[in-house]
Amino acid sequence: MQPAISFLRSTKCRLFASLGLTILMVMGWAGAQDKPVVLRGGKVLTVTHGVIDNGAIVMEGGRITAVGDAGTIHVPAGARVIDATGMTIYPGLIDSETQLGLTEISAEQTTNDLVELSDEIMPHMHTAEAFHAESALIPVARMNGITNAVIAPESADTLPGQDSFIQLAGANAPEMLLIRDNAMPLNFTGDQRRNKTGFEKRKFPSTRMGLAAQLRQAFLDAQDYKLKWTDYERRKTDAALNKDKDKKPEPLAPKRDLKSEALLPYLEGKKMIVLAAESPSDLETAVSLANEFKLKFVLNHISHSQPVLDYVAGLNVPVIVGPIYEAPKEDERYDTVYSLPAQLYKRGVKIVFASYSAHNVRNLPDQAGFATAFGLPYDEALKAITLNAAEIWGVAEQLGSLDVGKTANVVVANGDPLDVKTDVKRVFIAGREVPMSDRQVRLRDEYSKGGQE
Amino acid sequence: MRLISEKILVLYCVWLTVALASAAALGQAEATAGHDIVIKNAIVMTVTHGNITNGSIYIKDGKIAAVGETVNAPASATVIDAGGKYLTPGIIDSHSHIALDDDVNEATNPITPHMMMKDAFDYQDKAIYRALAGGVTTSLLLHGSANMIGGQAVVIKHKYGAARDEMLFPNAPRSIKFASGENPKRVYGSRDQLPSTRMGNFAVQREALVQAQDYMREWDNYNEKVKRGDKDATPPKHDLKLEALADVLRGKIMVQIHIYRADEMLTEIAMAKEFGYKIRAFHHALEAYKVADQIAANNIAIATFSDWWGFKQEAWDAIPWNATMSMRKGVRVAIKSDSEDYNRRLNQEAAKTMRYGGATEEEALKMITLSPAWIVGVDDRVGSIDVGKDADLVIWGGYPLSSYGVPEKVLIDGDVYFDRSLPGLGTTHYKEGE
Repeated sequence: MQPAISFLRSTKCRLFASLGLTILMVMGWAGAQDKPVVLRGGKVLTVTHGVIDNGAIVMEGGRITAVGDAGTIHVPAGARVIDATGMTIYPGLIDSETQLGLTEISAEQTTNDLVELSDEIMPHMHTAEAFHAESALIPVARMNGITNAVIAPESADTLPGQDSFIQLAGANAPEMLLIRDNAMPLNFTGDQRRNKTGFEKRKFPSTRMGLAAQLRQAFLDAQDYKLKWTDYERRKTDAALNKDKDKKPEPLAPKRDLKSEALLPYLEGKKMIVLAAESPSDLETAVSLANEFKLKFVLNHISHSQPVLDYVAGLNVPVIVGPIYEAPKEDERYDTVYSLPAQLYKRGVKIVFASYSAHNVRNLPDQAGFATAFGLPYDEALKAITLNAAEIWGVAEQLGSLDVGKTANVVVANGDPLDVKTDVKRVFIAGREVPMSDRQVRLRDEYSKGGQE
Repeated sequence: MRLISEKILVLYCVWLTVALASAAALGQAEATAGHDIVIKNAIVMTVTHGNITNGSIYIKDGKIAAVGETVNAPASATVIDAGGKYLTPGIIDSHSHIALDDDVNEATNPITPHMMMKDAFDYQDKAIYRALAGGVTTSLLLHGSANMIGGQAVVIKHKYGAARDEMLFPNAPRSIKFASGENPKRVYGSRDQLPSTRMGNFAVQREALVQAQDYMREWDNYNEKVKRGDKDATPPKHDLKLEALADVLRGKIMVQIHIYRADEMLTEIAMAKEFGYKIRAFHHALEAYKVADQIAANNIAIATFSDWWGFKQEAWDAIPWNATMSMRKGVRVAIKSDSEDYNRRLNQEAAKTMRYGGATEEEALKMITLSPAWIVGVDDRVGSIDVGKDADLVIWGGYPLSSYGVPEKVLIDGDVYFDRSLPGLGTTHYKEGE
């Protein structure tokens, strides 16, 4: 059984998925799609039901209403028909970890809202509240067919805050933020240790045991916090029931603690933890910690966990893998990390890719293509940036494939979506065509006097 | 007395070299160096004269002896059947900082032309191997950009597993690293030192070059006196720093400049004219597209990224069309890595120029072979598949200018240094655990 699907089939996750659906239905960006669009001709990569050569797709009211053969497709009245002969049509790509909207110019600190470094336990940070909808980086990514992305804080803290799931087009931030606080990273890669300064200046937690103890305490605090509130609610109910005969004063509400409050949906298994580790020992420590508190999780990175891939498969959870460009360890073969997606796939693990980037989100498909040169089947590579990602993030009923009823996030390119040479020609988000322009295109045209293709 | 001992030392060194060389030869009975090799059944991408489908290459003594649909080679030659795969020249990375064990910046003074990167060269660095597995055969290892004038580069061949001196590109021309913009002013400005502004940057550079002019004049005067037979002439003091800069002014060292902004490129061009030296290449050069005419007119190349942008203010106007727009204006363009990540897949980076601006296959390939070879000053010896050049070659699995191109065999000087089909690291000269 595929782990992510079983995850989706669980009741809690259905709730989660339907939450995504509701939000997607509410959102139109700057008005909804005004008239039907038909893309006719071209090779349609549906992801769920194969490739249709000389296919067609119909988009109406922001959704896909038909997918089929160009010759037989029904063209709705008043539709805009676009000839896509010679083109490849595929679903909008989903990047499973980015910092889009949290940075503009990396070296300019004033433009960065990447992570709070004052404490390691910051679950009450909401990326949705820093997300900059007008960022110049978003159209750059969108123009290469990335239509949806997870926004995560940078990984310098063990609990740096909560993710958001966005659509890369919209009139403003609320429209683009399809799901706020959809998941929360728990980072245990060793980079979260506060040991970068000299020994005498170190602060807690400067070791892995420090990080683990601090995490454990944070989750215990949240459990206590929950008990306090449960107890308060019980006493409040009792007091209301016995108002007349009992002269006891109203119970006092516990003081609100935003950190513990933020952790509760994760402790209750309602939301998903993105558990990041690199090496086998960190991975196993992080997993036992997650199991101790019955957290629902997917794995992230595991770039140096090759010796324990069977153990990983046994966990029955999806993996956000890589980036596969992570350098191998000193004594490892050059392709040790390049081949990790294929190794995981062989063991039945559902994988997705992420750019782990802001400026280079547009290059997400290159990584998927490159992984096929090291054994990952092509269809799986494409799924890893479309359907698998939609499943992991609980939005597979709306996104990730070209199927009737799904949100019309559709990309038209002059070739193979996973090849670096392929040029994206058109991008539709919720049925509306996105302007193929960004800051870079404008500079190009300005300096090439009249523009060039 | 001193002279005699030096002679003895020299003789001893010669003997030692010969002894070591023969020992090495004995130890590598399996190796192909010095043997005749024929690679047949390849799609040969020559870079200079098109592709030859079903082509062959005859390699003799580490050099390309013949290229064509058929080649005349002795029957004793070792045959490598490329199985219809693509064959390209080895990739040349014209901007790298690998194998320097983090000794990239002598950031204690903005003028350090006497730093020799060769002195920091860590020939065992695995980054050399990982780039080799990505098809890189030659790299220019540069000083960093903390200083306005950094150190002198070393050119290496990625013969991983060979001795240090075998990895140095023989008789490669000298290059020096200049910098500009944000890095020097940040490094020294943060210490309340000069330079902390761009005008400070250029003033520091000009001051150093003026000193070098004076130094050169003193030595020229002295040499003139000696030539005239003046026995009382006293030699000026040797100054390594100014000696290096004097060699820049004498045109003996090629100037490689780290630079982002278009206005600074124009200032550097003017500065070079003021002091009479030539700039070989602008590195990074993300705004080259804005002043490509002037860059081309001065015969300056650029070594740029394919699509990096936004990592700092001076990279904010970077566009992925930079390479092709500059090329169309006549600029010689190389795509380089400046990274021990990207130097493992420069072929993909070059392929992006086919998408952004429509470079042809040959133009794209040239950006990681012949053009960087020119920047390094070794284009007469590497960078294309032509008779007489070093047999630095890559046999590819998949089409090299795509997401799917992966080197299967990499040869340097006619010797296989990487073979993907081998277990372990895939290296032929480096043995694990040694």
